[in-house]
Amino acid sequence: MSGLSDVVRTAKSILTGHGITLKEFFREPVTVRYPQEKIEYPRGVRGIPSQKVNPETGDLNCTACGLCARACPVGVITVEAMVGPDGKKMQYPAKYELDYTRCLVCNLCVEACPFDALEMSDMTELSSFSSEDLVFDRDRLAEIWKRSHAARIAGGEKI
Amino acid sequence: MAQEQLFMEGAVEKREPIPENVERQTMELNLGPQHPSTHGVFRAILTLEGETVVDVEPVIGYLHRNHEKIYETMQYPQIIPMTDRTDYLAPLTSELAYVLCVEKALGIEVPERGRILRIIFNEFQRILSHQLYAATFGMDIGAFTPFLYVFRDREKALDLMDRATGARLLFNYFRIGGLRNDVNEAWLEDFRAWIDNFEREGWPEYVRLLFENEIFRVRTKDIAVLPPDVAMAYGASGPVLRASGVRWDLRKAHPYLGYEEFDFDVPVGEKGDCYDRCMVRVMEMKESVRIIRQALDRLPDGPVLGKVPRGVMKLPKGDYYQTVDAPRGETGCYIVSDGGATPYRVKWRSPAFVHLQLLPYLCRGTKVADFIAILATLDPVFGEVDR
Ligand code: SF4
Ligand code: SF4
Repeated sequence: MSGLSDVVRTAKSILTGHGITLKEFFREPVTVRYPQEKIEYPRGVRGIPSQKVNPETGDLNCTACGLCARACPVGVITVEAMVGPDGKKMQYPAKYELDYTRCLVCNLCVEACPFDALEMSDMTELSSFSSEDLVFDRDRLAEIWKRSHAARIAGGEKI
Repeated sequence: MAQEQLFMEGAVEKREPIPENVERQTMELNLGPQHPSTHGVFRAILTLEGETVVDVEPVIGYLHRNHEKIYETMQYPQIIPMTDRTDYLAPLTSELAYVLCVEKALGIEVPERGRILRIIFNEFQRILSHQLYAATFGMDIGAFTPFLYVFRDREKALDLMDRATGARLLFNYFRIGGLRNDVNEAWLEDFRAWIDNFEREGWPEYVRLLFENEIFRVRTKDIAVLPPDVAMAYGASGPVLRASGVRWDLRKAHPYLGYEEFDFDVPVGEKGDCYDRCMVRVMEMKESVRIIRQALDRLPDGPVLGKVPRGVMKLPKGDYYQTVDAPRGETGCYIVSDGGATPYRVKWRSPAFVHLQLLPYLCRGTKVADFIAILATLDPVFGEVDR
């Protein structure tokens, strides 16, 4: 007798399953065909950190203080200040390198920067055939900032 | 000392040993490390007699990244993104364990809004993790369709997470003293809509499609029964322990974050078989929805990030421990500080690592086809097992 009730129960589960699958025919598809179509990233999405450019002067906001390099958990940022004609250090980076191959995209450098000079860009499609290409220097980071929607989310504010 | 005195009742095997004079033929089967259904990189050496599993030897360590040692070279705030990478299917709970531990050491107060938001995100994380569990468990025993239904909902949930935290997988959202950022009204509205939809449509659909399915029941009922005394003796926690009928939840037993203010049940199983271990997780999703609704109702206005001491963060000399009830069990973070800017030692208590030692106990005497199902009911995440 239990054999028969097993059959009935199994048949019922199969019918339930097919019922749910059938319902799906009448729903909107949710798939996005990625390389052709793209979902827009929300504001504040974490891509590569980028160097903010002052829109009036075209200079970077960065003062080469090095706080971001110290806050970075994996130490992928290298900052060197520019040396002026008088041999003193200027408040401008001569070299600012970010090794994206090891970056955790964690936002901590942005939170550490006191001069509003770093922002997380929404640039994520940065793959390359050589790992040297993924060491971004100052000018490329500024270029990324110009070409993407960057945002600085750092201190418990509403997004 | 006799073995019986060393271990708790239940941890010592009481099965009859195989008689010496019986000739048996066994075969060794190597499963993994790259088996598609082993959830990460895990190798098991099965000893088979025909189709029956005689013994299992779990081999771990393929995903070892030396987390605990790396933490010793990092300052306290820098460790938070690393904790994401232990249990990468529930990163927020690992973050929570660490952040609460540091806050306890420094006596930092988290503002009310930050605290309630932490509860909301923590329970949301539990739903996400259990959702993934339900999806992949179906796949492990051969039901592919439910996976797609779960991922349809999970995708929307991850978009919500993306909007709030800026990332889809490794959120890095909790900070010492609160949260990285607040969420706005539009987000809360979409979040409410997702929760409603999940409760009304998503959750019943998974249950009807997978967990009430007759084939699923036959495959999981009475398989790998874990009696409560054995579960406790092996140090099981979370859903694995609760499935055996032990009502033990850290949110109730040692409340943190103010969970005692919330009204929720702790679902427990009856027998502790594979089916119970699944259903406990499925029922927990409902309880998480209940907690989230209560938390949303009492979400106050205000800041989310509290006052943190300026300068390099240093913990007073001593040791600190904090456990949280993660989706996989009891996640604990133990920090020893020598007063410096980096911890002297951090020890991670990961539930999946503890549960994995149950594997030989559960698998002996079962069929080899059930092995993956049993492994999946322990819900191990190998990032956390190997650290
Ligand atoms: S995002 Fe994190 S890992 Fe990457 S550069 Fe900034 S601090 Fe370093
Ligand atoms: S990006 Fe900010 S923190 Fe980093 S060196 Fe420049 S000013 Fe300092």
